[in-house]
Amino acid sequence: MADALVIRNLNKSFGGLRAVQDVSFSIPEGETVALIGPNGAGKTTTFSLITGYHRADTGSVMAFGRELVGLEPQDVCAHGLARTFQVARPFGKMTVLANVMTGAFLRDKKHDVAKRKAREVIDFVGLSAHEHAPARDLTTIDQRRLELARALATQPRILLLDEVMAGLNPSETDQAVALIIRLKQRGLTVVVIEHVMRAIMALARHIVVLDHGQKIAEGNPNDVMTNPEVIRAYLGSNYVHAEASGAGQC
Amino acid sequence: MLVTVAQALINGLLIGGIYALVSIGVTLIFGVVKVVNFAQGEIVMAGMYTSYFCATLLGIDPLVSLLISMPALFIVGVCLQHFLIRRVLKLGDMPQIFLTFALSLLLTNVALLLFKADYRTIQTSYSDTAIHIGPVYIAVAKLIAFGVAMLLSALLWVFLRTTDLGKAMRASAQNPEVSMLMGINPDLVFAVAVGLALALAGAAGSLLMPFYPAYPMVGQVFILMAFVAVVLGTLGNVTGALIASLMMGVAESLGIQFVGADSGLIVVFVMFLVTLIIRPNGLFGGKRR
Amino acid sequence: MSGKFSRKTLWLSVLFALMLLLPQFVTSRFYMDIVIRVLLFSFIGVAWNLMGGYAKQLSLGHAAYFGLGAYTSTMLQINYGISPWIGMIAGGGVAMLASLPIGALCFRLRGPYFTISTIAMAQVLMLLFLKFRDFAWGAEGTTIPNLGDAPWMMQFEEKAAYFYIALALLVVGLVVTWAVERSWMGYYLVALGEDEDAAQAIGVNVPKMKRHIYLISTFLTALAGTFYIQYIYFIDPPTAFSFNISVEAALVSIVGGIGTLWGPVVGTVLLEVTSTLLQSWLGGGHGGVQLTVYSLILMAVILWRPAGLLGLITDVYHRIFGNKQQSEQEAALDG
Ligand SMILES: Nc1ncnc2c1ncn2[C@@H]1O[C@H](COP(=O)(O)OP(=O)(O)O)[C@@H](O)[C@H]1O
Ligand SMILES: [Mg+2]
Repeated sequence: MADALVIRNLNKSFGGLRAVQDVSFSIPEGETVALIGPNGAGKTTTFSLITGYHRADTGSVMAFGRELVGLEPQDVCAHGLARTFQVARPFGKMTVLANVMTGAFLRDKKHDVAKRKAREVIDFVGLSAHEHAPARDLTTIDQRRLELARALATQPRILLLDEVMAGLNPSETDQAVALIIRLKQRGLTVVVIEHVMRAIMALARHIVVLDHGQKIAEGNPNDVMTNPEVIRAYLGSNYVHAEASGAGQC
Repeated sequence: MLVTVAQALINGLLIGGIYALVSIGVTLIFGVVKVVNFAQGEIVMAGMYTSYFCATLLGIDPLVSLLISMPALFIVGVCLQHFLIRRVLKLGDMPQIFLTFALSLLLTNVALLLFKADYRTIQTSYSDTAIHIGPVYIAVAKLIAFGVAMLLSALLWVFLRTTDLGKAMRASAQNPEVSMLMGINPDLVFAVAVGLALALAGAAGSLLMPFYPAYPMVGQVFILMAFVAVVLGTLGNVTGALIASLMMGVAESLGIQFVGADSGLIVVFVMFLVTLIIRPNGLFGGKRR
Repeated sequence: MSGKFSRKTLWLSVLFALMLLLPQFVTSRFYMDIVIRVLLFSFIGVAWNLMGGYAKQLSLGHAAYFGLGAYTSTMLQINYGISPWIGMIAGGGVAMLASLPIGALCFRLRGPYFTISTIAMAQVLMLLFLKFRDFAWGAEGTTIPNLGDAPWMMQFEEKAAYFYIALALLVVGLVVTWAVERSWMGYYLVALGEDEDAAQAIGVNVPKMKRHIYLISTFLTALAGTFYIQYIYFIDPPTAFSFNISVEAALVSIVGGIGTLWGPVVGTVLLEVTSTLLQSWLGGGHGGVQLTVYSLILMAVILWRPAGLLGLITDVYHRIFGNKQQSEQEAALDG
């Protein structure tokens, strides 16, 4: 299948810190790919480079054949890429419904159409019971659901999810995984930044590993998780020990 | 011609020292507490009236009543932080901007009620004396004000760099959690920062009194200057605010000299606009990336 | 749902009918003057609120556009004999044009620095009009020649006529706000006011939205400027570009309820009534009383009720009429 997203030689420095160095990878349309790496590896920065929040120093991001570097975030979104933020950023005083409608207006400015589409998505993420609650009153987990719903309402073709499962208990994680699998079945291309191994294993057939801004490994889960360099990166950064060694058993 | 320029430069530099006291206060509060104090100009006014009444009622020289206005306004600052600003810290832009703005309105209008719109001046022994250096003269009152202003700025600089509290202040300007890690109560850090800022503005008021009239709206001039200086000088940066304030004093003075008496502010605003045009991204609050 | 809707329409119709008949009851020029002031400042508040309330772009420089509107129509009238009715629209156009470069500069800044830059812009405009006397009468200003009863020149013997103009302006402002609030624009504005980055992430073109709402807001503000100058027959820079205009525009909105349709109206009624009562108690000659009280009210609202007093009123309304539903959300805040 054709590649939905092609990233080539992406570089970004903040002052002297090289947050992303020469990163390249591509994602076939309809695939789910996991972007992993210890804290500070440059995962979120990579998302921000793709979605126009930071401008890449050098390199290219092609989505469905169009160069994204230099576009503003809203144009990237209009081109069919929606992201979530690592810490959810709901519009606090708007209700859940209004939040999601705001996303839906991107594709159709008609109030009724947006409302109908918003309701569909809210139902899909399981927030219907809170439709009229102000977003600031939601629990952290529900705020993340809302963020997902808002992103989905823009009808993206590529969805970029930044640690949506952090802090979920195992059954909540399974729910979230099931949700993402349903999105995949609808044909969405999904990039997840995750730390939760069981989610990564359930979702992604392809994993990209970043460390200190560099891609240190890429491939199928088993190969990546047994890759000595990956294990070293995780251990070296004192990253959750159990998960790294657990990965080794896979 | 050369003499005129030199004279304007000196006058501007001297008044710039006063602007610096006000701007440093604004920048200190913003750096530490992350709130812009719109009432800083009215604190200058409060300092002026304090010294005015000390002089007229008690016969105390403004340079001495500095020792009254500064501690008094320090306490006002601590209270301001503790009872008002602290309550809006997590509430976003609107309450933060309009709380201190309301305070500014309040102080101006209370002053108007109490003291009427009259201009009040005092005479000191040095009000009319000047030092002559060749054809250029330097008003002694302004020179003293400038000297004390620079001294106070220097003291603040030393305080921020050498004391634990000062270091905690600088650290929390970078990252609010740090002062907690340093084992210093952030509420204390905030309160002292606002207190110091107000004390500096009060000092500015006292220092102005020998050569500048006090009236209820006098704060507006100083707050506008301070805002522009703070924008020019990179936020939360005490040295930046100081240099920018001196520049603004000079620009204003040159404007008055060469464009006309009421053009000082225009020149300053033009500087402000030019800064906005040429340095949009360097400015705090501008775009990131 | 529809029951509630019709009740609301009913109340609005009654209110509107009462307003139309008001000049029949209020014959005192003194009280008529107060009513006109209330309408005018409500309208200015409504214009400010579109940008300051919904999009949270907290300008304290709207006097710039009030002044531009005032000067445009006055200059057209005195220099070219053009009717202020036309001048009013022209003034709105001038304000919109001016808002583009001013916005381009100010919108580079966020939060308090945006606010400061708007103050500076309004000050610059006032200083320009003060300074360039050949251009527009300089600091002395000018009186508007009194033509007696000349409706086509926006001059009337009866205060009632001014009342109806101010009322019409307010209705226009409210209808515009209502339409914006219900449409996608309202959602986009509230969203970017809450979180610009998050709004961009779902496709909101933040700079463009700010520009557009600024255009609308400044256009309306300029109309108020023309009207006001025609009403008082005098113009000079401190009047037309008065900082108090900028302040009151924001103040009435915040006190009443920032980012709500009726907030500025509620705020104006409250503040103007308070100030009138104060003046009748204390008599004139107490410069500073009005703004002292305003600033105390503003502080109290910010500390205890930052959403404004409108919410308080609707809560009471729902309690009285036993409406079980929580107080109704404004359209852009809910679905
Ligand atoms: N806006 C920024 N300015 C400066 N440094 C940044 C910025 N954003 C991220 N960084 C730095 O870049 C590095 C990568 O950060 P990030 O992409 O957030 O990591 P990850 O998401 O993998 O945990 C970190 O060292 C972080 O401190
Ligand atoms: Mg991250």
